Amino acid sequence: MTAPLSFEGVRLGARDTEPFTLAVPEHHTVAVLGDEDSGVGTLGGYALGLERPAAGRATVFDVVIADLPQLERLAFRRRVGYLPAGEGLLQNLSLRDNVALPLRFGSDAAPHEIDGRVSVMLTAVRVAAAAQRRPAQANEEERRRAAIARATAFDPALVIMEQPFDGLTARAAAELLEFVRGGETAEGARRTILITGQELPAVIHRRIERTYRLTRAGALELEPA
Amino acid sequence: MIDAISKLGRSAARRLSRLGALARFGFHALRAAPALTPAGRRVALRVALTQVRFTALNAVGLVVLLSSILSFLVISQAVREFGRLGVTDLIGTLMVIAIVRELGPLITALAVAGRSGTAIAAELATNQVLGEVRALEAMGIDPKQYLVLPRFAGSVVSMFALLVVFDVVAIGAGFVAATFNHMAGDRYAQIVLQSLTARDVWLTVAKALATGVIVGIVPSYFGLSVRRAPTEIPVATSRATVTSIVGIFLSCALLR
Repeated sequence: MTAPLSFEGVRLGARDTEPFTLAVPEHHTVAVLGDEDSGVGTLGGYALGLERPAAGRATVFDVVIADLPQLERLAFRRRVGYLPAGEGLLQNLSLRDNVALPLRFGSDAAPHEIDGRVSVMLTAVRVAAAAQRRPAQANEEERRRAAIARATAFDPALVIMEQPFDGLTARAAAELLEFVRGGETAEGARRTILITGQELPAVIHRRIERTYRLTRAGALELEPA
Repeated sequence: MIDAISKLGRSAARRLSRLGALARFGFHALRAAPALTPAGRRVALRVALTQVRFTALNAVGLVVLLSSILSFLVISQAVREFGRLGVTDLIGTLMVIAIVRELGPLITALAVAGRSGTAIAAELATNQVLGEVRALEAMGIDPKQYLVLPRFAGSVVSMFALLVVFDVVAIGAGFVAATFNHMAGDRYAQIVLQSLTARDVWLTVAKALATGVIVGIVPSYFGLSVRRAPTEIPVATSRATVTSIVGIFLSCALLR
């Protein structure tokens, strides 16, 4: 079975670094860590076809999203959950409307069905009490919880998260990772997850199957915690 | 000398290239409309209505103020001066050509560009700097459909609505000014209506459409053209305003 997400010979960061190759197996949670200048922050954009790598390719479910025509590209991205660094919540919408936006725009569900699903999502990530606040009125943890609810709004099989746990307590980070994993199956987590960032809390390391660190010599797999 | 000509040429080429990019941007934004799904259309309509509320409804007071002051002053002076010369019939022509057809669209468009155009440019530039535009694309939402189209449609509708308000208030204020200056109200109404032709109406509508397009598209283009630095936001806003004003004057001058 092919990996839901793979990078083949992708050039990251400085020119003299080894091309990055990685396959994220289905039902696995994989983390790729690196310094700010390692290019780790570009992996999500390459996978979703928001940017193109200078060399190599990134495939999601065997498709290079950047190669798709505009409409198909947009539709395909709804199959992938994405939490960008800095959350990317729209400042003029409440947290609730931010979670509802992709569903309202990209699904044919009736408004009351969308409202129901959004309520369930907000309760599941424990941000229902702050749902009517705008991002600027919410604290960092509430924003992150809402952004994670938005990323998983379509119940995607693959989730890409950039710096998802920065600024969170270990307890909140562990809780949110469990939510994104979406429960357990015989093969592992229900969802396949790629986490990118600089560092991870120790408690998260224990819940991740594979962790890599980007170095000039390439991606080195770290020992399991 | 050659240096000066070459600098001039470079500057002209840069401006032309920006004009081309603006036209391409507007074309792509319009082309995104048929691709909207029914669900996307509902969301875009909601954003457009918010835009109309901000651009038209909240600006009614300003437009009423500008229109009434302008019309009252012009007609007060005209009734006195034209009366002395015995050509009071020309008040109708003055009202229709100068105020309804020429100054109405110009002043309304300038008010909308100054009030809403700057807001659109600053808002979209902030969306871009905060990574919200990228996040929209990642969610499978076309920023042109969600951010540009509703603002464009909202601006066009608002321009039409505000222009109607401007013209009605201008004619009403002219009526008040005429009666204040001892001219019979029914005579004023009669000469204004006699001066009004179908061509005036169509030209006013065409100007509302042209300036509405400018106020909707130009600020969106400059707003979304920023990259990542917050310092680019005031620059984009200022460029959007200046370009909109130039565009408004040009379109009003060309539609005659």
